[in-house]
Amino acid sequence: MKDMTKNILAGAAGRRRDGVGDPLGANSEIGRKLKQYYDELVSDNVPDRFARLLSQLEQAEPAQKKD
Amino acid sequence: MAAVSQGFKADLLGAIPSLRAFAVSLTQNADKADDLVQETLVKAWDKHESFQPGTNLKAWLFTILRNEFYSQMRKRGREVQDSDGIMTARLAVHPAQHGQLDLKDFRGALEQLPEDQREAIILIGASGFSYEEAAEICGCAVGTIKSRVSRARTRLQEILKISGEDEYGPDAISAQVTAAH
Repeated sequence: MKDMTKNILAGAAGRRRDGVGDPLGANSEIGRKLKQYYDELVSDNVPDRFARLLSQLEQAEPAQKKD
Repeated sequence: MAAVSQGFKADLLGAIPSLRAFAVSLTQNADKADDLVQETLVKAWDKHESFQPGTNLKAWLFTILRNEFYSQMRKRGREVQDSDGIMTARLAVHPAQHGQLDLKDFRGALEQLPEDQREAIILIGASGFSYEEAAEICGCAVGTIKSRVSRARTRLQEILKISGEDEYGPDAISAQVTAAH
């Protein structure tokens, strides 16, 4: 773990200038966690209610000609 | 009003997972998030004619969702959190083991961010939007998004006690001092 800390610190020094351009890049712990957090949410199963909703909206549309 | 095309409907369906993820990020509550997504879909359906084909549908939908979120918050009389000055008291969770930051801890830290910072860091760091797109979604300047992202990131690091990956010198030094103890 200590070594890891050292590596992170060394990396930070090297990236100091680039850090501003890509603050959430793959090298950043925050960036990685953020993606992990979000990807987990995106991959959650979508409840049926949304497909049903869209079908209802579609059926509720008055019959009309296509444009 | 022109009929909603099958393609538009399919695109809406396809966008639902992203919309739900963004909604959970904003509301921090699964049930509220799904209600928000439902409202968004209804609104998007009603105003589908204002969507310009060929432009970014996901960004358009995120804008609707975000507007709906803030207008609901205003209706409930809930004051929108301000970025400044509310954090200091709530900082300090507990130190994360280096490189072993727990997702649960991260979620907790994210929850502590003011909405404007949270949405900015999610849009940029997770949803894959550019700063320009995020600025459009949030109705603010690109520079504002940049500063929110930067403040969000700094705060997350503070809350999670992550050190050593900041671009600023003093933090790296204080990290070394902390590590020595």
